[in-house]
Amino acid sequence: MALSQNAELLSDFWLSQFLGRLHPMLVHFPIALLVFAAFLELHTLKNFHQPLRKAIGLLVTFGVLSAVISAIFGLLLATNEATSGSTLDIHKFLGFGSAVFGIFLLFFSKNAIEKGDSRSIRTYRAFLFLTSIGVGFAGHFGASLTHGEDYLTEVLPGNSETSAPPSLTIDLATFSSEISPDQEIQLVTNVRSVFAHNCYKCHSGAKIEGELRLDEKEFVFAGGESGPILEPGNPEKSELIRRISLSKNHKDVMPEKGNLLSKDEIRLLTLWVEKGAPWPDGVEQQSVYRVAALAPRKPELPTPKSGLQNPIDLWVNQYFEENQLSWGEQIDERTFIRRAYLDIIGLLPSPEDLKALEGDSRPNKRSILIQSLLERKDDYTQHWLTFWNDALRNDYTGTGYITKGRYAITDWLYTSIRENKPYDQFVKELLNPDEKSKGFIEGIRWRGTVNASQRTEMQAAQNVGQVILGLNLKCASCHDSFISDWKLEESYAFANIFADTTLEVSRCEKPTGVMAKTEILWEELGEIDSLAPKAEKLRQLSEQLVQPANGRMYRTIVNRVWKQLMGRGIVEPVDEMDNEPWSQDLLDWLAVDFVENGYDLKRLVYQITTSRIYQTQVIKVASPDQLLGENFKFQGVIQRRITAEQFADAVGKIAAPLFDSVEVKFRPYELIPEARPNLSYTRASLVANNEFLKALGRPNREIVSTSRDSQASLLQALELSNGEKLNKALAKGGEKWAEAYSNPEEFTGQIYQNAFLRKPNSKELELAKKTFGAKAEPDEIQDFLWAIFLSPEFQLIY
Amino acid sequence: MKNLHTRRDFLKKTSAAAIATMGMGAPLAGLLSSCENKIPASADSVILLFMAGGMAHTETFDPKRHTPFRKGMEAKEILSTFPSIPTKLDGIFFSEGLENIASVMDKGTLIRSYQAADLGHILHTRHQYHFHTCYEPPQSVVVPHLGSWIAKEKGALNPVIPPFINIGQRFTVGEGEELKAFHSAGFLGSEYGPFLIPDPTSGLEAVRPPVGMDTKRFESRNQLYKDLIAAGPMGEFGSDYQKESLRQSMEQAYMLLNSPEAKAFDLSQEPKENYDKYNTGKFGLGCLLARRLVDQGARYITVTTEYEPFMGWDTHDNGHTRLKDMKKLIDAPIAQLIKDLDQSGKLDRTIVIVASEFSRDMLTEGRPDLKVKDQVVVPDIVEDLKNYGMHRHFTDGCSILMFGGGIKRGHVFGKTADERPCKTIENPIKIDSIHQTIYHALGIPSDLNYEIEKRPFFTTPDGHGKVEFGLLA
Repeated sequence: MALSQNAELLSDFWLSQFLGRLHPMLVHFPIALLVFAAFLELHTLKNFHQPLRKAIGLLVTFGVLSAVISAIFGLLLATNEATSGSTLDIHKFLGFGSAVFGIFLLFFSKNAIEKGDSRSIRTYRAFLFLTSIGVGFAGHFGASLTHGEDYLTEVLPGNSETSAPPSLTIDLATFSSEISPDQEIQLVTNVRSVFAHNCYKCHSGAKIEGELRLDEKEFVFAGGESGPILEPGNPEKSELIRRISLSKNHKDVMPEKGNLLSKDEIRLLTLWVEKGAPWPDGVEQQSVYRVAALAPRKPELPTPKSGLQNPIDLWVNQYFEENQLSWGEQIDERTFIRRAYLDIIGLLPSPEDLKALEGDSRPNKRSILIQSLLERKDDYTQHWLTFWNDALRNDYTGTGYITKGRYAITDWLYTSIRENKPYDQFVKELLNPDEKSKGFIEGIRWRGTVNASQRTEMQAAQNVGQVILGLNLKCASCHDSFISDWKLEESYAFANIFADTTLEVSRCEKPTGVMAKTEILWEELGEIDSLAPKAEKLRQLSEQLVQPANGRMYRTIVNRVWKQLMGRGIVEPVDEMDNEPWSQDLLDWLAVDFVENGYDLKRLVYQITTSRIYQTQVIKVASPDQLLGENFKFQGVIQRRITAEQFADAVGKIAAPLFDSVEVKFRPYELIPEARPNLSYTRASLVANNEFLKALGRPNREIVSTSRDSQASLLQALELSNGEKLNKALAKGGEKWAEAYSNPEEFTGQIYQNAFLRKPNSKELELAKKTFGAKAEPDEIQDFLWAIFLSPEFQLIY
Repeated sequence: MKNLHTRRDFLKKTSAAAIATMGMGAPLAGLLSSCENKIPASADSVILLFMAGGMAHTETFDPKRHTPFRKGMEAKEILSTFPSIPTKLDGIFFSEGLENIASVMDKGTLIRSYQAADLGHILHTRHQYHFHTCYEPPQSVVVPHLGSWIAKEKGALNPVIPPFINIGQRFTVGEGEELKAFHSAGFLGSEYGPFLIPDPTSGLEAVRPPVGMDTKRFESRNQLYKDLIAAGPMGEFGSDYQKESLRQSMEQAYMLLNSPEAKAFDLSQEPKENYDKYNTGKFGLGCLLARRLVDQGARYITVTTEYEPFMGWDTHDNGHTRLKDMKKLIDAPIAQLIKDLDQSGKLDRTIVIVASEFSRDMLTEGRPDLKVKDQVVVPDIVEDLKNYGMHRHFTDGCSILMFGGGIKRGHVFGKTADERPCKTIENPIKIDSIHQTIYHALGIPSDLNYEIEKRPFFTTPDGHGKVEFGLLA
């Protein structure tokens, strides 16, 4: 502590600052001298006493001396400059360590020369090598501080993409001394894109730090609280260029938080200023964000290939060819039937189902099976109900219900899925609802004062945007968006369609006095009569949104269904449809094909699951990052975790039901008499959320939710390891199976067939025998079932 | 993401969290976070003792003139229904019935100027949501609880003790759904959600092998699990993230369920003499459980006097009579918790907070300058004892106690008026400052945020709220 107090006193003194700044120059001496000394030392390994000895001795002496001085000056520098962080800590540690080692080195060097015995020579050499390695590493971390941590690695092969961010679509080399008006526009558009993606979060209408805004021309040239940020034609004198060029730990660096700009981005901004910072009027019309086309597009199918009948496969094949990828192996009947059952009706197939498929000799037997699954109306509905409940924020319990501030739409939803209601009609009924389907746009009405950006009309705008249109309006509900082109007024105009009266626009919770217009987000889709009553506005909205011209809506739904079946959307995240698809052609074609064939969701599922690519070996990824990364390459179905509902249903089938009748919140047969269950347990999708389902990933449906976390967590593992629900069901299952099978081998075979659709292998059988001995007891069976159910082979869809 | 990882290195090594956080749509470390700034932490753990239902400041830690009950007294003359008692601090008084806490007040800071938010029509669960998350409901994303932020940023202090534990609240009560809405890790991922122990006396059940399974059987079940995976066809395949996260979290759960630390959850292990000191009921035993867990390295714990509409602190009538019982429930165990932690030295690194979603007053619903709809009928003339007490919801002056973990000892912060309505008149402090001060003490920077749906989401709305250095030593 005394040291740092002294350092504080010193820091104001000019000499200390001066000496501190000598540190970066001085540090080269110990590195050069000591490393060279170590190098020479290697030449004396055979014979210590050589003429070189004296030279090495001198190098060591001066090397250590300079190391000690460098360390002291370094300390001064660190206290004078506002730098901190783990790199500095490591640098400090290594620097000081090396200096201390150096002092020992001096002593051992003297000792070795005087004594000359092998032990003291060894000690001396050890210290010499350690010290020179130490200064080397200290130097490396020092350089990381001044040049940035990726200074060295960024030029390595494979790391080049960091210097060419996707936002930059400009070749700076083509900008010679004179630039054309077109090039001016190109230049400033790229500059605006850099501002938008790196600076708007703190310097735009949404948030204004340092009185600086970069989102409009006049603000950029006006500068901030410390004056102008640019001197056109003169990058050296421009504050903007100075600050973006500083090192990570400098106190003036911009962006102050987060990643620095890339070299290309800095070069771009510098060039722009150098060229006089051109900003032609009207250039703002051009978006700096990627915006997906609204209109539908039907690309012409690639030429047919033998073995590929399904159009999806033709597109995939074309994609594979373009990306030099190859088709994976086709899956066997066992893998296929398990995948198809879980994906289409959410249930595990039985061993008999597999046997039937294997015995079927018809060439199109897989398509026939898929068709038969789609025809199991209630099984299909009770599976897809989960997906739609999540997406439409429909739940049996939850906030709002006790005060009639929320309405369930389960009756309508169940019937709609069961009837396979055409999707355009489905959306129309959600947007222009009757009593049974009004819950979605009515939102959740909380008691008390609610944020303007969470009034029910705005909830409707956000939810319709997110779920139906793959669009994020949440940002633009409070202020002009800084993640897209959507403006506050546009969100309000859309929300106003859902309002009984005209909404007043609030910006960041402050009423602006401006009354909202009444408009659909895209004028191409038509107008809404702003004077019409709410019911009429909703009718108009529902008609306008579902028209085929709204290609976005149909791309959004086919992309969602694709993700459910293939594990990853053609566009990800599935709620951000402006992002780039891995195949624009496939997405566009699927959407148009969906529209042209009656908005038929079952047909879409059939089309995807009968494709060759759906029936290809599963793709495993080491990290979910790979799925979301910009360099994602599609190769096939991604391995997934079964959902909470699929797991519960599978346990219910093989062991015993998990839920009692009190927990069942929806009984389809009360609505549709022929929907009487044919299963011995209630499907989990009809049950109220509980700790078990929650731990396994069912969301609290307070907000819409369109993808589930598929990874395990400690809380989940605890629920599965000692949770009462699963444990009770397994105990019952143990008794049930003990009654049915007393012979352990027979029992093991049955369990493996039911859970995995295969026989146990010899090792597994051996383990089972070891567990059960001569007779399988209920307890033992219970534990065996547990181990089976928690194994990856049960938990994953492969 | 890179930065986030170095910050959570400890967690990365000890749990499945490292892979579990990166699911589809999982949060990215916010670009605005200044990850480089290291704040020296003065605390490792937090225990929040939550007085759910609205604890009147004038009846507890900020008493005013005693106005004893007499038939026919005017409602507006009622200030405090209990006499005052001295505390360990000179000139600072508590309400009668809190003698034990009064005797440890030299170990912490008494805040007398907490102002709860104006959320319109005053409702407990909405204000609790706001207290625990710092955000006003509803929000367009699921907002993480204070404990989840801490669990995410600091990780488990002991890898086998879940980093966010919630003691004493059942969700089967009225407004249970509203309570669930904020007992969530939200977008941070369920890994950081609360580990729920509704009843402290059965805490052990949550962390021991399933009922009816002895240790030996539990161990062999786990062995069988591992052996079967190794023997099956999936065992030999390379790792993918789902399989890996499943394997790791199952391993971790096994470690916890089979660990000696799990004994911390077992209150019967506590010497009887000490057990009795805490045993005033469910809340008192919750305090004891919290102490045992902190001793073993718990990170964040809430112990709540269970919220149930019109029960506990939620006094819509009989306020005076019922508060006698409430004080009996909390006084001894809170004081004992502070003493025990102080004695073991843990108090230096553990923040203990006593707080409520808002206060109460005889007449004012809301605050003096922003009255809202009255929810309780209060007669002008009090004839019946049942009308004697603080029955309306008051937001403009609440008391919070904070102890340990870098909080000043023997300090009083803020002041309320001595006459009704006894509102804050000095150093007002709001929830965002309270949160930021707790985060700061734990070494979590005030601008920490994650990018959710491309927007930065901070621990407090827009990162607002200043660290209140006046509370820190």
